[in-house]
Amino acid sequence: MSEALETGTPSFMDRFPQEASVVRASLISSFISLFLGAVFGLIQALHRTDVFRFLDSQYYYTVLTAHGVLLVVSFTIFFLVGLFTWATVRSLDRPLVDIRYTWAWYGLMVIGTLMAVVAILGGFFPSTDISADVLFTFYAPMQAHPLFYGGLAIFIIGTWLAGADYFRAWYAWKQDNPDERIPLQAFMVLTTMLMWYIATIGVAIAVVVFLLPWSLGLLDSVNPLLTRTLFWFWGHPVVYFWLMPAYLLWYTVLPSISGGRLFSDPLARVVFVLFLLLSTPVGIHHQYVDPGIAEGFKMIAMTNTMFLLLPSLLTAFTVVASMEHGARQRGGTGLFGWLRALPWRNPAFTGMALAGLMFAAGGFSGMVNAGMNINYLIHNTIWVPGHFHLTVGTAVALTFMAATYWLWPQITNKPIFSRPIALAQVVLWFVGMALMSNAMHVMGLFGVPRRTAEPQYQGFDFVASFGSITELRMQLALGGTLLFISTVLFVSNIALSTGTPRMSGLGKQLSEPLSPAADSPKVLDNLTLWFGIAMVLVVLAYILPLASIITDSGIVDPGVEAVPMLIDAATGLGPIGAVSDAAGRLVAAVVGVVP
Amino acid sequence: MGEEQVVREIGHDEYDPKGTLALIAVYFVILLVMWVFMYFVEFLGNELTVV
Ligand code: HEM
Ligand SMILES: [Cu+2]
Repeated sequence: MSEALETGTPSFMDRFPQEASVVRASLISSFISLFLGAVFGLIQALHRTDVFRFLDSQYYYTVLTAHGVLLVVSFTIFFLVGLFTWATVRSLDRPLVDIRYTWAWYGLMVIGTLMAVVAILGGFFPSTDISADVLFTFYAPMQAHPLFYGGLAIFIIGTWLAGADYFRAWYAWKQDNPDERIPLQAFMVLTTMLMWYIATIGVAIAVVVFLLPWSLGLLDSVNPLLTRTLFWFWGHPVVYFWLMPAYLLWYTVLPSISGGRLFSDPLARVVFVLFLLLSTPVGIHHQYVDPGIAEGFKMIAMTNTMFLLLPSLLTAFTVVASMEHGARQRGGTGLFGWLRALPWRNPAFTGMALAGLMFAAGGFSGMVNAGMNINYLIHNTIWVPGHFHLTVGTAVALTFMAATYWLWPQITNKPIFSRPIALAQVVLWFVGMALMSNAMHVMGLFGVPRRTAEPQYQGFDFVASFGSITELRMQLALGGTLLFISTVLFVSNIALSTGTPRMSGLGKQLSEPLSPAADSPKVLDNLTLWFGIAMVLVVLAYILPLASIITDSGIVDPGVEAVPMLIDAATGLGPIGAVSDAAGRLVAAVVGVVP
Repeated sequence: MGEEQVVREIGHDEYDPKGTLALIAVYFVILLVMWVFMYFVEFLGNELTVV
């Protein structure tokens, strides 16, 4: 530990320059997606609150699809592969087996993303027949252009190959270190990738067997309930795929930044194993109101979901205890007084701590979502986006941004352009999200729907029990604007950091856990065993529901016609037309011709 | 690490995370209060829902 305090620690970039390039490329892809996603987020926030509508509402779904896909697929997963590459190489302390292979999976992920994004943005140009306004959940019978499904498939294949890269590195390491415990970060990477292999079976079948051939005209129809169930087979574990890199950072980096040590390595391993086991057999909790799935199966999914709270509560304990350890080593005292001894001026710390705090709030709304009966109160209302902007939109996104302030210098040998701006940025995100998410939760309770361009209805007003709907709308729009500004600050701070002078000695070391791996039973590291049990649980949870869906309505359902998401070119204004139209109205309003 | 000024080393056996326990207790109390609050707002405030 104390050797690390001397300056001149070689950085990741010094030790593994080739891997550092891949990590950098992945993070840059991630941040480009984040920025574009935030632009669309701002448009939505202003549009649906009627603060500023410059696009015709029929383009709302193009915007919303781009927002969803860019943020929860590209931003999160590109960051994940970058972080996992760093974590694998760092913790095994050896380069990857073949860097050309590494670039190959990165390239596939980029190609897949570009294909899907072209298909989505095609929606802005009604004169082309390219469109994919199917939202990130792509429920049939809404149908996207084949480029969208093809891009998704290629992207996922890229992530599979990335996982194989980490396993190869581990295998090579094991040959040289046959009796050692898997280093903690590598353990986290490998268990997460095993979960991903199981989870993606669902989406791969949905896309490759059904949706892609169907969009190409090779298949006449699909069974919407089946593809939807396969989607959610993947759709719940994917939330842990977003979350596990954040957990990796909370468990292995945050304790060091706090000045302390991880409370327990074995507990961290238990948590990752629990996620591998329990993430997948719960997907049906997203389908509580789907007809065609028996209530009993929904009950089972609910029960599994409640068990899944356990690893998150274990995490809350371990991570907070590690922070407290840091605070007490820094001289903090008292039951709550130690909180003041934490390094609040460090943007990496403050960002991650605030992210964790918001995750705790998200835990509450998540418990509401998970309860079969109370779910009915909020289903498909804007409460739901309110919930996941706390989880993926903050616990994950803010942790990634905060961690970047810590990691970036080590993979570039250049310091961050401005730490004060970084600190302001993470706080601004927290404030913006507190406003936006609060407004979304409350409006959801009053029944305001999600995924709606103009949630105003003739002859019907939403009634607010407290506050007013107009106030809440303004709160949402203001929060969204602050979030957008925060994103711009983040992206420009990183972009400007490419121009700071190159330095040496920016490497940082991670502290050893208080309770080391050696304290835990070896069986924890038996990945084959856990993978096997996870597969059994998935089969148990899904075999009966899938069988009953197929016997009820078939592998494909000939009664269902495809609905391509095309805007009629004759009535569609085209975004350029819509923009100039809106600008015209704005000018007219300002001039006072139009009331 | 630089910025992480450690003024005293605390080992595994001397460390007792009582602050963490206190924070988690506070979180559970908030959860409980929210659940009770939800009961009043959502169930007593609305008509019966029949699905
Ligand atoms: C600049 C910050 C952001 C703003 C202003 C913003 C705004 C919004 C708004 C207003 C909606 C609701 C639209 C509707 O249902 O009609 C929404 C949906 C959504 N947001 Fe964000 N958001 C932001 C950042 C993020 C981040 C960081 C993530 C995830 C990492 C995210 C993921 C999503 C997803 C998955 C949806 C649902 C899309 C759908 O319903 O298909 N957002 N966002
Ligand atoms: Cu879920």
